[in-house]
Amino acid sequence: MGILRFERAGKQYSTDGQTVTALRDISLEVETGRFVAVAGRSGCGKSTLLNLAAAMDFPTAGRVILDGVPTWPLDDFALTRLRRGKIGFVFQSFQLLAALSAVENVELPLMLAGENDCRRRAVESLRRVDMDGYENRMPFQLSGGQMQRVAIARALVHRPRLLVADEPTGNLDSATGDHILALLRRLVDEHSVTILMATHSLEAAAAADTIVRMRDGQIEQIQEGR
Amino acid sequence: MASFRLLYRFVIRPMARERLRTVLTVFAVALGVGVVIAIELAGQAAAGSFHASMETLAGRADYEVTAAGGVPVEAVGRLATLAWPIRVRPRIEDYGMIAGDLRVVPVIGVDLVADGRLAAAGGEAPDAESLMAADAIWAGPDTGYHKGDTVRLILNDTERRFRVRGVLGSAAGGAFVLDLGSASRLLGRKSTVDRILIESPASESVLRAVLPPGCELARFGARTEENRRMLAAFRWNLRVLSYIALVVGAFLIYNTLSVSVVRRRPEIGIVRAMGATRRAVLGAVLSEAAMLGLAGGAAGLLLGRVMAEGAVRLVAATVDSLYVSSRPAPIEVTAAIVAWAMAIGIGAALVSALTPAWEAAQVPPTEAMARGRREYQARVRRWRNLGLGAACGLAAWLAARQAPVGGRPLFGYLAALLLIATGVLAIPALISSLASVSAGCLRRIGAEALLAGRSLAGSLRRTSVLVGALSTAVAMTVAVAIMVGSFRQTVLDWMDDRLKADLYLRPAAPASADRHPTIRAELADRVAKLEGVAAIDRFRAYEINYQGMPATLAGGDSRVASRFGRRSFLGVSNPVPIFRALEHPGTAVVSEPFANKHNVHPGDRLRLPMGARIVSLKVLGVFYDYANERGYIIVDRRTLLRYLPDPASSNIAVYLKPGVDLEAGRRQVEGALAGARVQVLSNRRLRQEAIRIFDRTFAITYALEAVAILVAVTGVASALVALVIDRRRELGLLRFLGGSRPQVARMIYYEAGLLGLLANGVGLLLGMALSMVLIFVINRQSFGWTIRFHWPVAVLLGVLTLIYMATVLAAVYPARIATRLRPIEVVHEE
Ligand SMILES: Nc1ncnc2c1ncn2[C@@H]1O[C@H](COP(=O)(O)OP(=O)(O)OP(=O)(O)O)[C@@H](O)[C@H]1O
Ligand SMILES: [Mg+2]
Repeated sequence: MGILRFERAGKQYSTDGQTVTALRDISLEVETGRFVAVAGRSGCGKSTLLNLAAAMDFPTAGRVILDGVPTWPLDDFALTRLRRGKIGFVFQSFQLLAALSAVENVELPLMLAGENDCRRRAVESLRRVDMDGYENRMPFQLSGGQMQRVAIARALVHRPRLLVADEPTGNLDSATGDHILALLRRLVDEHSVTILMATHSLEAAAAADTIVRMRDGQIEQIQEGR
Repeated sequence: MASFRLLYRFVIRPMARERLRTVLTVFAVALGVGVVIAIELAGQAAAGSFHASMETLAGRADYEVTAAGGVPVEAVGRLATLAWPIRVRPRIEDYGMIAGDLRVVPVIGVDLVADGRLAAAGGEAPDAESLMAADAIWAGPDTGYHKGDTVRLILNDTERRFRVRGVLGSAAGGAFVLDLGSASRLLGRKSTVDRILIESPASESVLRAVLPPGCELARFGARTEENRRMLAAFRWNLRVLSYIALVVGAFLIYNTLSVSVVRRRPEIGIVRAMGATRRAVLGAVLSEAAMLGLAGGAAGLLLGRVMAEGAVRLVAATVDSLYVSSRPAPIEVTAAIVAWAMAIGIGAALVSALTPAWEAAQVPPTEAMARGRREYQARVRRWRNLGLGAACGLAAWLAARQAPVGGRPLFGYLAALLLIATGVLAIPALISSLASVSAGCLRRIGAEALLAGRSLAGSLRRTSVLVGALSTAVAMTVAVAIMVGSFRQTVLDWMDDRLKADLYLRPAAPASADRHPTIRAELADRVAKLEGVAAIDRFRAYEINYQGMPATLAGGDSRVASRFGRRSFLGVSNPVPIFRALEHPGTAVVSEPFANKHNVHPGDRLRLPMGARIVSLKVLGVFYDYANERGYIIVDRRTLLRYLPDPASSNIAVYLKPGVDLEAGRRQVEGALAGARVQVLSNRRLRQEAIRIFDRTFAITYALEAVAILVAVTGVASALVALVIDRRRELGLLRFLGGSRPQVARMIYYEAGLLGLLANGVGLLLGMALSMVLIFVINRQSFGWTIRFHWPVAVLLGVLTLIYMATVLAAVYPARIATRLRPIEVVHEE
């Protein structure tokens, strides 16, 4: 049984009378402990798919089932609870809160979920991404790669079932990007994290176990890497 | 044309896009301007009124003659014999109360036969039959009475019935007019008149030569001028208070503009890169400010006109009870007022725009290439500011120790301003130290509290301005509350000390600061002889003019006062010897406001006109007094009667014999008064009434503070909206990280709550310091009252709670915006 399943899911946006079909008839299953990359050109629907996977949004057709729970029709509070417990999110532009130090950024999801022992778990999570020693740095004192590591630590701190990463290397040079990919790979291998990553680069996708190729909102091909 | 289009694109369009914020800012400015205008209009109307009410039918005149206790009638004859062309018009000027509706109206006695002016005023000339009738009266057109109506007027202690014989022209306004003879009889003038108006080309010295020495000759209209001057300090202080709301409003323009400049830095950089000059950028920001100011000024003018309706009632009531009889004149919005509204609206906006405009002009073209506003943290030099603040505090301390300038506490105001500057400059350092101290505590409350605290400390400049604006409003409110509360307590203590009699009698025709209706002497004699009465103290007051300022001359029974009554003197613990000495003729005691106004000390001699003579009086002591601001000179009753022989009393204090029940005593007294229109008040009633007048007097100051707070809270709401819009990415991010909608809303509430807490804390401290300046410098120098410091704890707690709640409520709408944001959209913006 997979952690995430799309069942003929579709997504339409309607803005001032016009409807844009961002996703059409997506069926996909992500197994626990796998590293899945979604690859495709800009505008093909990668981010939309990830947002559905992360319970940030609902499909307009079909179903998205996260750890056995269909996201529709849950209310906002139930969705929030689902996200809190099961999802970690990593963005292209890091999205660290500038007013918080590295460790405070990492412990934020735990605090929002009202859990305790936040500081210890945050420090531990930073260690997992090789960022120990940077706990009290402010985001502007970090390089892009370091910021992305902190963001990954933050996404993992509450031990989510699924890590969703939207272009995590998009804002980084290729060497730094490779380090981040290696880190994600290691997390899958050593800590059995499940990752769903969007990328437009095939090299980046190559780090994954499975590559889902998309075009115009549809899955073109699912390619088992390793 | 091109520049207009640029203006439109870079100034007007963004303003229109952020409609809510623009509207809130304009509203804040409008409130500030409105209050200033309302107070100005109300002050004008209130100051114009005494003029209007007593100048009824005065017409044109060159001189006027007045005297303490009235001008002897023979002066009229002597003036008439001068070998100059001359018209002499003696007048009696008093007030009466219409028996039915308790309306107080001027009652004027003029020589109806000699004075053709009545006909000239548009009314019909009085016929001989009416002139002879004892109940004849003529009504001004605004009285509402018509020819043939009956009107019952209470004059002093007696109700009289009159028949209206004619309605006068518009110059008579709301007054009733009697013939001089009957006015003199009915109002108890014993061969004196209140004023003589003179039309003559003769010089002052010619006229003065034939007048008794105690009479004062002045250019016509001088009295109005004196009253104006007396009101000046009061109006001046009210005016200063009214500007607080505008200052708070200016803070908010500053905040709005500096936020929008910071936010538009990349945009400004692009425009600069495309060739806009520094001057153009400066001009754009300043014109944005000018437009906010213009809109605020225009809206403020309308708002001010509306608020003036309420303000004029409050101001007029204060003027009436503390200074001079008045009925507010109509509110007039003159061209000068319109210009002033625009000037202060635009002026406040431009002044507060200077720094943001300068900062915008400094944005380099390379900013276009930079990574945007997120990287730009407005620098706040908090330690330098703290140092400056300390310097301001020191300067404030020095300013508070200076003497008044021309009778005005200019240095006191300066001290208040410097104190506010001290507080405002210390805020950034305070916030950043508090942020680090409280971090652990906020963490324990939860992620929302921690985030709220961090984001406030993170945008230090914005937070400082907001806390500055809010705490200025809070401080002024606290200061005024402490001042008024201290004053109130001082007055209560003073009344405890002063009011020892069991019953107080006063004529039904109401008194005011310059109006002293009387009780006939025979009534007083009857009361004095009652079985249950131990003693009575007859008090008689006259309006006089001392060195160009109105004052009150009064006589009381020193012997009774030293046995039964009390009066506290400055620097004297036992007043009895002073009362003993006061029994000697040629001695007086003066009230504290009088002593301060005229710089009089014990041992000095006063030269005082009394009746026809000028009398020299030795000052024995200065007593505490809070009854009115014009100041008292008190002599023994026998001294007074020697020069002003009218034995009637303005009011009477009755001391009952020990063991006599209050109600029984009252019944006896009322029996003795036998139908005269005299009020008998118990000690308690009198105090209650006094404190009611006191509270009414200060209602306006509370209203002014309330507006300042409203402005500040509006600012908080508008700033929170901006904060939410600027941080929408972060707010969206919180939702990605598992934050729920209520958590996001709570964070906004925490921010408002922290802002309110900071502002209340700073405001309370600052307010305490300001209240010292108000009580011991400004109030002393402008009014001459000693006020003892007192904490009005309940009022302060209430006020602070209210402000706090208002601040948190200001977050309701911004919090709603925050929860409505769509996280996916905002996170991926840019
Ligand atoms: N809120 C929205 N309203 C309307 N259309 C949208 C919205 N969000 C996305 N779209 C459209 O849906 C399609 C898919 O967008 P999506 O962001 O998923 O693409 P993407 O594959 O992530 O592209 P990129 O690689 O550039 O990030 C696009 O055509 C886009 O225009
Ligand atoms: Mg995308």
